[in-house]
Amino acid sequence: MTAVEVVKKLKEEFGAAVTAAESPSPDRSFVDVERAGLRAVSHRIVGLGGRYIVSIGTDEIDRNGTLGLIHTFAFDADRWAMAVRTSAPAADPVFDSITPDIPNAGWSEREYMDLLGLTFTGHPKPKRLVLADDWPEGVHPLRKEVPYNLMPPAAEDVAYRLDEAPPGTTVIPIGPFHSSLHEPEHFALYVDGETIKGCDYRGFMTHRGIEKLCQTQVSYNEVPFVAERICGICGSVHATTYAQAVEAAAGIRISRRAEYIRTIVLEIERLHSHLLWLGVAGHLIGFDTVFMQAWRVRERIMWLSERMTGNRKTYGMVVIGGVRRDITQEIAEEIGEVLAAVEKETLALKRSIIGDTSIHRRTKGVGVISKEESVRWSLVGPVARARGIDIDARRDHPYAAYDDMAFDVPVVASEDVWGTLVVRVLEIFESIKILRQALRNMPSDGPLLAEVAEALPPLRHAFSLVEAPRGEAAHYVITGEENRPERWRVRAPSYPNLQAVPLMLLGDQFADFPIILGSIDPCFSCTDRVAVIDVRTGRRRVLARRELENISRRGKG
Amino acid sequence: MVMGIVFALVNVLVFVLAAPFYDGVARRLTARVQSRKGPPLRQPYLDILKLLGKENLTSAEGWPFKLAPLAALASILAVVTLVPLGARANILSHRVDVITVIYLLVLGGVSVLLGALASRNTFAMIGASREMMTMIMVEPVLAMTLIMTAVKVNSLGLQGVLAGVGASGFGLSTGLMLAVYLLALQAFVARQPFDIAEAEIEILEGPFIEYSGPSYAMFKLYMMIKQMFYAFLFVSVFLPAVRTGFYPLDVLLQLAAVLAVVVFIAVVGATNPRLRIDQAVRYYAALIFLSLCAVGLALKGL
Amino acid sequence: MWLTSKIKQILMVLKPGVVTLKYPFEPRPAPKDFRGAPRWDHTKCVGCGGCANHCPARTIMTRDICQEIRILLYDGSRCTYCGRCADLCPEKAIAMTSDFELATPSREDITTTLELFMLTCQRCGRCFDMEITNVIDKLDLRGYRYDDLEARAVLRRTSDRLDTALLEETENTSRPAE
Repeated sequence: MTAVEVVKKLKEEFGAAVTAAESPSPDRSFVDVERAGLRAVSHRIVGLGGRYIVSIGTDEIDRNGTLGLIHTFAFDADRWAMAVRTSAPAADPVFDSITPDIPNAGWSEREYMDLLGLTFTGHPKPKRLVLADDWPEGVHPLRKEVPYNLMPPAAEDVAYRLDEAPPGTTVIPIGPFHSSLHEPEHFALYVDGETIKGCDYRGFMTHRGIEKLCQTQVSYNEVPFVAERICGICGSVHATTYAQAVEAAAGIRISRRAEYIRTIVLEIERLHSHLLWLGVAGHLIGFDTVFMQAWRVRERIMWLSERMTGNRKTYGMVVIGGVRRDITQEIAEEIGEVLAAVEKETLALKRSIIGDTSIHRRTKGVGVISKEESVRWSLVGPVARARGIDIDARRDHPYAAYDDMAFDVPVVASEDVWGTLVVRVLEIFESIKILRQALRNMPSDGPLLAEVAEALPPLRHAFSLVEAPRGEAAHYVITGEENRPERWRVRAPSYPNLQAVPLMLLGDQFADFPIILGSIDPCFSCTDRVAVIDVRTGRRRVLARRELENISRRGKG
Repeated sequence: MVMGIVFALVNVLVFVLAAPFYDGVARRLTARVQSRKGPPLRQPYLDILKLLGKENLTSAEGWPFKLAPLAALASILAVVTLVPLGARANILSHRVDVITVIYLLVLGGVSVLLGALASRNTFAMIGASREMMTMIMVEPVLAMTLIMTAVKVNSLGLQGVLAGVGASGFGLSTGLMLAVYLLALQAFVARQPFDIAEAEIEILEGPFIEYSGPSYAMFKLYMMIKQMFYAFLFVSVFLPAVRTGFYPLDVLLQLAAVLAVVVFIAVVGATNPRLRIDQAVRYYAALIFLSLCAVGLALKGL
Repeated sequence: MWLTSKIKQILMVLKPGVVTLKYPFEPRPAPKDFRGAPRWDHTKCVGCGGCANHCPARTIMTRDICQEIRILLYDGSRCTYCGRCADLCPEKAIAMTSDFELATPSREDITTTLELFMLTCQRCGRCFDMEITNVIDKLDLRGYRYDDLEARAVLRRTSDRLDTALLEETENTSRPAE
């Protein structure tokens, strides 16, 4: 369904509840609705084929005394996306929860309960999500009156209350530190023998307050560098997504050459990320040779990035208006050589593992979630494509120079971890294909950086979708007045995928937990995105060793 | 008599000193398969020395926790004292039978279990339950191997059994048993794809999670000697003994053969992912069945 | 299938051999245009504070201590080596070097302090060349007017993590004798 049709339908069906609609570009629509109609409208949009992306909460108390809430949806087949905006007076910030209809909205809504103090009626699990357990009640850090560096005193003896364990199960704590988690997060697995019967998740331990920081402290063009550090693997994706959102909001057009360079950087990042994941997947099923060999191949990409951008991982290539460094003829040739070698070696790697029955045994039929459930849970990226859902933001919502590229989107219908592995391996070759086209067709002239001649207009809304290696990243930007965004919402691909992990785990073996979780390539930092500041400087209490031992022992048993 | 005692002591010495070397070889080889340089061959010795010098944290109460590493190491050392190294019987070899060896080997496994259960750690518990399952399913294969040769030589005496195949020659049953032993070898020594009880990525070394310092060093040494012992057992049961008449040379030849088995273990370990316990149990069940077949064939005189 | 895969795996690993590098026993220089530790050229620096203005990590700080002296302080312990400072420096006084072996027990080793002799502009306070025309990258730091408290207030505050001892040191810097 096209944007015009959907908006028309909504206006017809909901009448006065839809107060305004605008379409700044053919692929974006913004619809304002009354608070009372929010749930019905959202439900209808999903019914019309919309895929829920993320929700954005905003603080507009200074301006008109309201707290805003925006739900975003994508119509992938018709290549457009929309936002449904509503607001409620600050004194009564109550909204209908859309989680019963759209399960993936669960976290977004919980996030704004914590960060903005919104209330959602009918939410199935209104527990704390983002804030630390000892964070005081009633302090909502994303509200503008809360300073960015607020450090409430730490409290003792507060802990997250896990969900009730199903009868007859024992709880296995995975995390906050566990060797199959590469970042601190806590999973509580409810296990009967070795079979997983349920799971509760307490994450957001690496919440760094990046959104708050960037809305209050830094300026437009510093955000890409902060955004790049949201994730250690797909940093450039976040920088690009942010820059594109700002460019869309302010109507900045960047040169074609800059778009090509962005494409090349993103695809090189994808190559490194897919090879990294392949290695990690091998490691998680105890196959360290795949791990080492995949990373050996990946190392060439890392050196190439270092040569191209000046750093192995944090490329720092993207700024608003274009890119910082050029891809010279010399570097283009180097990329070509590395691609040839990587292609050859990846092919050898693929051939040696694709028929390995011992790997099949650990991945086939593991982490199963059906296509229907995946659609309902709005899964993205290779996880969705392994469940037969044909979505890829590069093709469906083209950005940078992807509209010029010819490539296939591998889709597998096996609905398990093996499918994810196949999709990601095949995508390596598609990436190489895209890179070759980009190098061949890149226009030889055009400025790297489009200059912004006038200050960016405030209060423009825009959002941008970028296909990160592990799925679709979405950034929503509302431009601000002080040379920085008024609101910047980051949704990393792990955010929707992680929410479906309990479903994937259900009924599987405990030994499969690492690879099931690993199959979505969870990036907890991205999901948490949030304390640049060392929170307890000067207030650190050093525990004596004896004390520490006692604590650790008490926790056991 | 005196020489018998000396040979027994030589056994212990050879196993304790050579086991870390074999482990080093395995690590080095794994590294090569992974295109890495790998640690130097002396690394396992240094690891053990380092652990011995570390503080022994007793994170759990009770004597079973403290005793378990000692019992494990002691039982595996007892086993290696008995075997005729270099095809030369020592003072103990002809006094014991295969039942003793199996008993002592199981004792080692039980000690690990005991330590794991005593440490009262969730992951150790899972490790223990997996270890128990592995033991129940794998020990019969070992027992059948020894019983099959015992049938061949009509004696349960250790010395006869260990030289059994060499003496009676290869038959259908021996061939089958050799294959089964090789298939079970990774499980005997807890290497991939059967390092399920330790599985560091899921349960963080399972049974050993709470151990540190000298206690852990003992477990480590136990694992190394166990690996060498199972390789040695394969060599002495299935390969005909070479007698040059010069004892140290005999021992060296046998150790060289053990090296070949360790190489096999390392290469298989490096090219396989870990199995799940339910998959492994099905695999073991097939092995038990096959080993029973081999014994049956041996009874038929094949 | 299993066996052929194993054979392919063995063949695959035989080819590259050992790829472990001998680093740090053999040096491994960074490639050209690497973004390592930034280096300030004090002869070029005009003290505009553009770097402090646009440092995403807020690890560069300027402080005016008297009528003629501006202190520029770079604390490398929090630097992310993005190279924004070098990009935006109107005098090209900052270069990203290829130094990456920066681990050190002492923070001073990676800290740069520049004492810049400034001329006070009595007229407009906008003496720096505003070459940067990109609106969002403009220096919102104005010229040097120590007496103009409002102008000083524009100095971006760096985060509190910046070494307080270093900060105090800049406070204690005394005015050079006539």
